[in-house]
Amino acid sequence: MASDKMDVEGAQKKLTDMAHSEQHYFNSYNHHGIHEEMLKDEVRTRSYMNAIVQNKHLFKDKVVLDVGCGTAILSMFAVKAGAKHVIGVDMSTIILKAKEIVKVNGMEDKITLIQGKMEEIELPFPKVDIIISEWMGYFLLYESMLDTVLYARDKYLVKDGLIFPDKATIFVCGIEDGDYKDEKIGFWDNVYGFDYSPLKATALSEPLVDTVEVKAAVTDPSSVITLDLYTCTTADLAFSIPFRLQCRRDDFVHALVAWFDIDFTACHKTIRFSTGPHTKYTHWKQTVFYLREVLTVQQDEEIACTLVVKPNEKNRRDLDIEVGYALQTQDITRQAQGSCSYKMC
Amino acid sequence: MATSSKPDRPVNDNPLSDSESDDSRDEEGWNDVEEDEEDTPEVISLLDDRVFPDVISMLAHCKEKHSFDFLGVRQKLQLDFHGCVKLVNFIRQRVHEGLPVSEDISVADIDDDAYLKPVLDDDAVIIGLFDLPELSAPDAIIAAQSGDNGALVNDLLKRNTELQEQLASVLLQHENYQAAVSKTLDERWGEAGADDNTKKTNQTAGKGKGKDGVEEKEDESKYYWESYAGVDIHETMLKDTVRTDAYRDFIYNNKHLFAGKTVLDIGCGTACSARAPAHPVCLAVDASDIIIKARENIYRAGLSDTITTLHGKMEEVALPVDQVDIIVSEWMGYGLLFDGHASLAPVSDPVWVSENGEAFWADVYGFDMSAMAKGIYDEVRVLHWPGDKVCGTSSAFKMLDLYTTTAADLSFTAPYVSRLTQDVDAIDGFLIWFDTFFSPTAPPSSAQQIPEGQKVEAANVDNHGVPDDAVATEWILDNKGKRNQDLVAFTTGPFGGAETHWKQGLLHCDPHLGEKKDEHSVAVNENSSTGSGNQQQKKKNEEVRGEITFSVAEDNARALVIKTTWDAGRTQQSWALR
Repeated sequence: MASDKMDVEGAQKKLTDMAHSEQHYFNSYNHHGIHEEMLKDEVRTRSYMNAIVQNKHLFKDKVVLDVGCGTAILSMFAVKAGAKHVIGVDMSTIILKAKEIVKVNGMEDKITLIQGKMEEIELPFPKVDIIISEWMGYFLLYESMLDTVLYARDKYLVKDGLIFPDKATIFVCGIEDGDYKDEKIGFWDNVYGFDYSPLKATALSEPLVDTVEVKAAVTDPSSVITLDLYTCTTADLAFSIPFRLQCRRDDFVHALVAWFDIDFTACHKTIRFSTGPHTKYTHWKQTVFYLREVLTVQQDEEIACTLVVKPNEKNRRDLDIEVGYALQTQDITRQAQGSCSYKMC
Repeated sequence: MATSSKPDRPVNDNPLSDSESDDSRDEEGWNDVEEDEEDTPEVISLLDDRVFPDVISMLAHCKEKHSFDFLGVRQKLQLDFHGCVKLVNFIRQRVHEGLPVSEDISVADIDDDAYLKPVLDDDAVIIGLFDLPELSAPDAIIAAQSGDNGALVNDLLKRNTELQEQLASVLLQHENYQAAVSKTLDERWGEAGADDNTKKTNQTAGKGKGKDGVEEKEDESKYYWESYAGVDIHETMLKDTVRTDAYRDFIYNNKHLFAGKTVLDIGCGTACSARAPAHPVCLAVDASDIIIKARENIYRAGLSDTITTLHGKMEEVALPVDQVDIIVSEWMGYGLLFDGHASLAPVSDPVWVSENGEAFWADVYGFDMSAMAKGIYDEVRVLHWPGDKVCGTSSAFKMLDLYTTTAADLSFTAPYVSRLTQDVDAIDGFLIWFDTFFSPTAPPSSAQQIPEGQKVEAANVDNHGVPDDAVATEWILDNKGKRNQDLVAFTTGPFGGAETHWKQGLLHCDPHLGEKKDEHSVAVNENSSTGSGNQQQKKKNEEVRGEITFSVAEDNARALVIKTTWDAGRTQQSWALR
């Protein structure tokens, strides 16, 4: 308890030591809007809650590490599930709020919150039994904390320890999106009578995070890559993978859309959720990659694609993405292939 | 730049529906997609009654069973699509009449437009003609290649070599051009690496969980300029047709005012407004990097010689002229102010308050997260507020006339009064917005000097025909209630119809104000029907009046502090707008 008192005092000192602008950030309600958005994302929060709270047999008396704990909601779920102790780590000043929240909910002796980089801090336990983390970004990997989770796994997780969640799969399908593409991309061709095409190339190279209706899907979805968090390494986060999209109907393909599914296989009964267009809204929405050309496809034809993803060399949180495509058809008038480069930053 | 601020396309699923999501991945997968396939029509053989799934197999059948090579005939006669249609109908007609069909068909046989009319309704063969392989080169050329016509071959080969060389040189030029362009863009857009983090922290775009922690924000104003360099915000602004149409209409409808004049466009952005007809000399100034794109736009519009772009803050750039005739600017900040007048109206919406106020944080999945609600009443919330949740008449509390406005005018106190349009349990807050008016008549006395715009002008001019309480949507109508084409105005308020990118500002009242201020009065009122502070039931037609005060924030020259009093001055609250 004494150390906890120091914690709170330390947090207060940190707050008074902060530069004025930082204090504003910490105290600004609007800056915390993203946490509100995430907590209001029921698919996300409820899946985590069920994965943790419904598996008390796994959490009972275990030491748990919450990577990127934010408002500490996952840490508190773990305490509810019977964890012996939870360590929450986050770089953001949100952790100061989290400390208040944990205290108000009477869990301050069960949860230790540490502000800092996972690579630089020291944990009060040499090893942990379970890692929980909500690390996923848009398109799974954009601004994701997965590398931090992998670092924590390698350094702190006991042999046969558990990771929640432990599987992430990226899916892609082709969509008909003529109207919206015209609105988003074609818009720059004629802005009140002026040619704004310099901005068009920029718009094309920026993947669009937005919700897509399932009826827009022209092809079956194809799973591109599954990351197994027990075994994958940071090197696996840069990849180049071929996949095929089978067309379901005669239509046009204006864009490829990507999303991901998350699995908690450590649970007694696997819990999973999807961020795809076929299911409930999540704050991750989907990520749309517009192609420069329009593919005219017929039912049962296939599009051979390649997805190349690598972290930007200058800024590892940014992503360089390339999509290669080749429509497989006997009809040479419709044959089309090419590749497009995107940057998420 | 990924962003969550874009307008969403409609989503079928209610995001907050409360069904279980243990496994929210619909196992049916894609089955709920409408199956809108049509039955592919059967392909009926040209020469008998058999049917086939496609044209290719049908033609193979004709060749095998009837020794009729359709593709061979097509090749021989060099038939295009229409030729093939005629050929098909010619054959169908002959079969229909019971006449024999041989491969000895000449172009003359089928050269009759009557054969363009299908013999069979919805003949799948004709539709299937698209699927046939391309015609190969005419026999003449094939013969030429085989050596009969050496000169032609040599010519073609030579021409081919020339074209290849040309292609190589064009490709090289293109590559150089690409390199040059990307270098320029890297320089202009990829700011010094150190700024990247600051930018990230500030952007609510991305998944800004604050994972990067809080970096030093040395220059708030730098962020302001940087945020204007992204493409998104300019798309938002240009697509805000209320805004762009109004500026365009005013400029285009008043060509006579612009002819031969020197025009200054402050904060020109993508330079859309910088083109006034009759080609005046135009200076476009913007401190944001978007001006690089503006230069390209201007070049493409062929206006380089009339529009000069200057990159920098208005206060710092040196203009190539001493004075300008006209200033065009679109300088209202996000959410608020200042070009016409600002208005206020009380709002009441218990549902919104319970979903977005303190109550939400009081119970998040069974946890008390009230700490997150700290500051919830301290800042102006920028949002689209539905007009039907406004519970009183709007009150225009401040008129700003750009000809006479001084920097000091941005700090003011003004009275407001609103009459309630319905009974309410409580006033949850006040909504503020502005109306903008473009006045074609310049006041005779104004010197229009820049950049020292802070100079106090004589205030004895009228408001160019804009009364203090004008409402944009009404002001543009003539006495008969029709649209007056000479007048241009727009509102960013909740009653204007079209939404604008400025949205409105909500001053969310702190329901605990009264308690904090005077606990005794709460106790006194305990048994009466009214609560404390703004938690008072109010009747329709009751007046809400008080004062509203704008001041510049001490720590940030671009931030505002807005204070409002109500209940005869007994209650007051301040909000920051950053």
